[in-house]
Amino acid sequence: MSLSTKFGDRRGQLAAAVTVVLLLVGGGLMVRALTSPSSPPQPPSEQAIPVAQQTSGSAADATGSSTPPAATSQGGPTFGTILEPSAPVALAIPSIGVRTKGVVKLGLDKNGKLKAPTDFAKAGWYAAGPTPGEFGPAVIGAHVDSKSGPAVFYRLGALKKGAEVSVTREDGSTAHFTVDRVARYSKDNFPTATVYGDTKGRAELRLITCGGAFDHSTGHYVDNIVAFAHLTG
Amino acid sequence: MRTTTKIATVALGSAALLPFLGAGIAQAADGNTMATLRPVVLNGVKANGTAMVTVKGNRIDVTMAATGLLADSPHAAHIHFGADARHECPKASDDAKGDGTINTTDGGPAYGPIVVSLTKTGDTSPKSGLAVDRFDTAPGGKLSYERGSINVSSDVAQAITEGKAVVVVHGVDHNDNGKYDGATKSDLDPSLPTEATDPAICGALSAAPAGGMDTGAGGTSTPDNEGLLLLGGGLLLAAAGTGAFTARKARNRA
Ligand SMILES: [Cu+2]
Repeated sequence: MSLSTKFGDRRGQLAAAVTVVLLLVGGGLMVRALTSPSSPPQPPSEQAIPVAQQTSGSAADATGSSTPPAATSQGGPTFGTILEPSAPVALAIPSIGVRTKGVVKLGLDKNGKLKAPTDFAKAGWYAAGPTPGEFGPAVIGAHVDSKSGPAVFYRLGALKKGAEVSVTREDGSTAHFTVDRVARYSKDNFPTATVYGDTKGRAELRLITCGGAFDHSTGHYVDNIVAFAHLTG
Repeated sequence: MRTTTKIATVALGSAALLPFLGAGIAQAADGNTMATLRPVVLNGVKANGTAMVTVKGNRIDVTMAATGLLADSPHAAHIHFGADARHECPKASDDAKGDGTINTTDGGPAYGPIVVSLTKTGDTSPKSGLAVDRFDTAPGGKLSYERGSINVSSDVAQAITEGKAVVVVHGVDHNDNGKYDGATKSDLDPSLPTEATDPAICGALSAAPAGGMDTGAGGTSTPDNEGLLLLGGGLLLAAAGTGAFTARKARNRA
């Protein structure tokens, strides 16, 4: 056996070993990329109505035009079903596989913005607002993902109109809501009045998570996904 | 001549600015506010509700719903505010006379005087605070109230958006006989029993959350996975190269 053949054999063995390592590592990375969840579902982005249009300009209002009161002389307006107040303790949205127990209370930060739950595995409820089932927009927020993978509201963007949302409450009762629509808004132009404003006598629910692109410089997503639902029983 | 032109220009300029200034002031007070109405301490009314107040400049839109009130009896409802009040609902310690109930005088230090009367029709000023024929009568104990474009002063509009105004619904049937009666007269109007004016449910108005929520850490955002795919793919291509080299060597040896 010649020296050159021997040298060639060594090179061949080395190449074989490198090939095995490359196959294992490369294949592993691809498997991880393919099995780790793809980006969360996104509803189409909605343009928030500019504030100027939302609140009819005070200059125009000063001329005396007024919204006719909804109350008629025969009696008050007809409102929908309203439940007694009771804090939420669990949330189920069968169509997108959400089933979470232990709803944490959420407050506002110093800028008046709703704080997110610190626990990625828990949904949070805006405790200064109405409880789910009372008149007004009850607000439940949860993370779309953690740093490592999907969180409670990962599939919120896939929620469809007509879907059922049930909120189990402290008093043992369950408030059933039906989804009216799911929208995506830029956080820079968030429609506060649409999401948190007067629901005109209806018990409603807002489910909020993040959406759109992830901004690595701020560490936050640029959009919010909001599901609007109303009490049906 | 020149001076007059100058003055005219300045005057016109100021006039042109005015609408913007006005809009700016009005804008500052705009907002969505809400109060969860809960039983007033000591008065024992098992009622609850929500009031939503939308402020647009010097006007407010109000929607209010409550259940569990004394049925088919007028319930005076107001927005209260006093600059030196505590901007909250009464505490048990506000029972100044120690009679075991909170009447309107007891409520004063907590939420201040009436600034808006939530009547169904007509005047909404404090003067209509006890206009019993124009308030909701809560059929079946349910109050359903909706009224738009109620005029308020700038101070009141500001107090509402700043969380200093309190919604109070009055009318407490202390002796559970289905009507307002009893020997004790109202400290607001001696022609009415105190049951008709005692505060039943109460809640401080507070501004709705501002803006959205930060509810994601990016672990499933697209770019990361793409990077992994590219890297993995690259390594597999390299493996194909070294694999081919190995195979050639093996063939040579055979
Ligand atoms: Cu009052």
